[in-house]
Amino acid sequence: MADQPTNDWRTMLKRRLTVIAIVVFVWSCAIEGRLVVLQVFDRADLAARADRQQSSTFDVPAKRGDLVDRNGHLLAYSVDGDSVYAVPTELLDAGKDPVHVAATLCDALKDCTAEERKKLITRFSTRKPFAVVRKGANPDQVKRIADLQLEGIGFIKESRRFYPNRDLAAHILGYTGGDRGDGLAGVEATYDTLIKGKPGRISMQIDANRRAFGRIEQPPTAGDSLELTIDAELQHVVERELAVGVRENGAEGGSALVMDPWTGELLALANYPTFNPNVFSQFDEDARRNRAIQDLYEPGSTFKIVTASAALEQKVVKPDDQIDVTGGTIRFGSRVIHDTHNYGVLSFTDVIVKSSNVGAIKVGLRLGKERLGEYVRKFGFGRRTSPDFPGENNGIVWNPEKMNDSALASMSMGYQVGVTPLQMAAAASSIANGGDLLEPRIIRAVIRNGRRIPVPRKVVGRTVGKEIAAELTPIMEKVVTDGTGRAAQIGGYTVAGKTGTAAQLIKGRYSTSDYNASFVGFVPSRTPVFTIIVVIYAPHAKGHTGGVAAAPVFKRIAEVALRHHGVAPNINPEPPILVARHSQDAHETTVSASGGVPAVVKLPPAQSGTAAVYPDLVGLSARDALRTLGQLGVSTRMIGSGLVVNQQPPAGSPVDSAAAVTLQLQRRPAVRLASVTSE
Amino acid sequence: MTGEAFEYEIKKDVRNNPIVREVDEERHREMWRSVSVGAFLVIAFLFSAWQRVELLSHGYKVEQMQKDRAVEAELARHLRLEIATLRSPSRIERVATRQLQMVAPAVEDAVVIERVIPASPPPRSIVARR
Repeated sequence: MADQPTNDWRTMLKRRLTVIAIVVFVWSCAIEGRLVVLQVFDRADLAARADRQQSSTFDVPAKRGDLVDRNGHLLAYSVDGDSVYAVPTELLDAGKDPVHVAATLCDALKDCTAEERKKLITRFSTRKPFAVVRKGANPDQVKRIADLQLEGIGFIKESRRFYPNRDLAAHILGYTGGDRGDGLAGVEATYDTLIKGKPGRISMQIDANRRAFGRIEQPPTAGDSLELTIDAELQHVVERELAVGVRENGAEGGSALVMDPWTGELLALANYPTFNPNVFSQFDEDARRNRAIQDLYEPGSTFKIVTASAALEQKVVKPDDQIDVTGGTIRFGSRVIHDTHNYGVLSFTDVIVKSSNVGAIKVGLRLGKERLGEYVRKFGFGRRTSPDFPGENNGIVWNPEKMNDSALASMSMGYQVGVTPLQMAAAASSIANGGDLLEPRIIRAVIRNGRRIPVPRKVVGRTVGKEIAAELTPIMEKVVTDGTGRAAQIGGYTVAGKTGTAAQLIKGRYSTSDYNASFVGFVPSRTPVFTIIVVIYAPHAKGHTGGVAAAPVFKRIAEVALRHHGVAPNINPEPPILVARHSQDAHETTVSASGGVPAVVKLPPAQSGTAAVYPDLVGLSARDALRTLGQLGVSTRMIGSGLVVNQQPPAGSPVDSAAAVTLQLQRRPAVRLASVTSE
Repeated sequence: MTGEAFEYEIKKDVRNNPIVREVDEERHREMWRSVSVGAFLVIAFLFSAWQRVELLSHGYKVEQMQKDRAVEAELARHLRLEIATLRSPSRIERVATRQLQMVAPAVEDAVVIERVIPASPPPRSIVARR
């Protein structure tokens, strides 16, 4: 009898499957449990670690805005430069000698000072992760250091400010410095907030090899660029002539300004000595000081234009009124004030022309301290003139209530009043433009996101009426033609101006050897384009008066400025060219020319016998050229077809109605299209 | 027959050949449905993976191009600065006077051509075009 088949194997299989299932279950639970731990409990920490490994966030500095002149020439610009750094911990761990490393780097830099070398040794000896070796190294230095392939030495890019014209307009532009490259002087400081922009932020995603593959970017906001009112070429001329003038006169220094009297825009502002803002720390405070706005000086006789304006407007005097200055002296107690000559009796005009102190004092006394004080304020003295120069000196003027006659006398002739060259130029400009006191400006426009936002002209007050300005202008012209300012004469142009000579106040006493010589004027006097002031501090070589030291500098600056701006002479100017036109009733008979066949067009003769010149017909079509020549009543011969490319007789030559004009015509050359097949 | 029993296992010759299993259409459809879903999921996953890889690849390229662009932009700035330096009025004057032996024009050498913009000329006259 056969055995019954057994089912043991099924049971064993079941048991084994159960065990395997349990093992798999436990294994799955373990994995899932681990996943729960990783993804729930440790999630925050792991995500933060991943973020740190996979992303890199850093600030992106904004590019500092540009400074350009009124014609768009670059005056200040930022580019990235390399700075050299060291990792002292790495150097020390590699067993490098700090002294040797410092010496090697200094050899490569070539311009290390002993102090800098000592500082490097100290930095390399300290266990720190970062030390600056040189900020803003030039490309040659960077290359030499890179070639050394020193361990622990690296380079980082940093934005650096450059002034490509070196010392041009240095006092206007100022300079930047410090770790963040902030503006420290001049326009760079005044408008630092506008120019520097806002930094951005970049969060970059990086892989295990530190290669970036994505980014989230908040771009930096570039700083605003500023368009200055100055003309770089004129600025260069003013600086050059001022430097020559100061050196020729053996002076301590000088200032010169050129202003547009109708807008208040400063076309040039120069001081001597000057400095290079690229390396400003190498120059002392004296060279970096903007004398034209910071230094006060007693203007001397140039201030008589204020006294004269007040006197004329208040009808205290008229230009022809006679003023007795016999003796050439005037006394206030123990104080005696002299004229340079004994003039006798002068007209008021001649008081200004010959710069008689006694005459000016007598007029000032007639005016009185209240009225003179009022006009001094009206002309802008005693307060800042421009918001573009926060370091500007207010100036010093008398409080009229506290003035005595001696002080009034001094002020009438430009003493005991402290002014800046900028204030004096603004005052003279008000006479040039008919009485508007304008706010001097150095910023012409702000350029933001490609949009130009101009700065408007601002009138801060009125000094005198138009008629008084018109009355004073010929007096100032006479100063130049007949008076103390003859050295300022410019051939072909009328110049209105005033000289000034004032002793310097040194330790409470007026010097007998050091004077400030100045000349202020505007040219051409009847339709002024420029107001120019030149101040020479303590000239010694030639003479100390404004007429000798300052007026020639004014003349040289004005000559170049007038030529540079194409200002035509106003003395015996050349008349414009005027020619007669023939009657417009002339009819023309046109014959169209087919290519290569010359066509002659006969026209009725001109009815008027007045002469004319041939106009420029190049570029016109045949029809337009014929119409134009028909109006002149001339015959035309045409060769070719299309547009006029040549004409004989040429444009500008006198019309000869007996001769025909030959026009050569040509079609525009065909534009060659790019071939899609290779040849 | 003797008592010895022959144990033969007589295999019944079961011929199943003529028996044809009926095609289960429902099961077939279910199978193909599953295969389709599976294939779709695989393709979708592959596509998603390909997209991600492409995104990363493009990300690398874009970052490299951003770097290159930044380098070129900075180079352009350096060149603009160099141009401005070369155009400096003092440099131009130095080159003109020392190297090229040029001199500044005297006052009488310069002729100012005044650009005249007339109102309306009289009927029988014309201003020559320049």
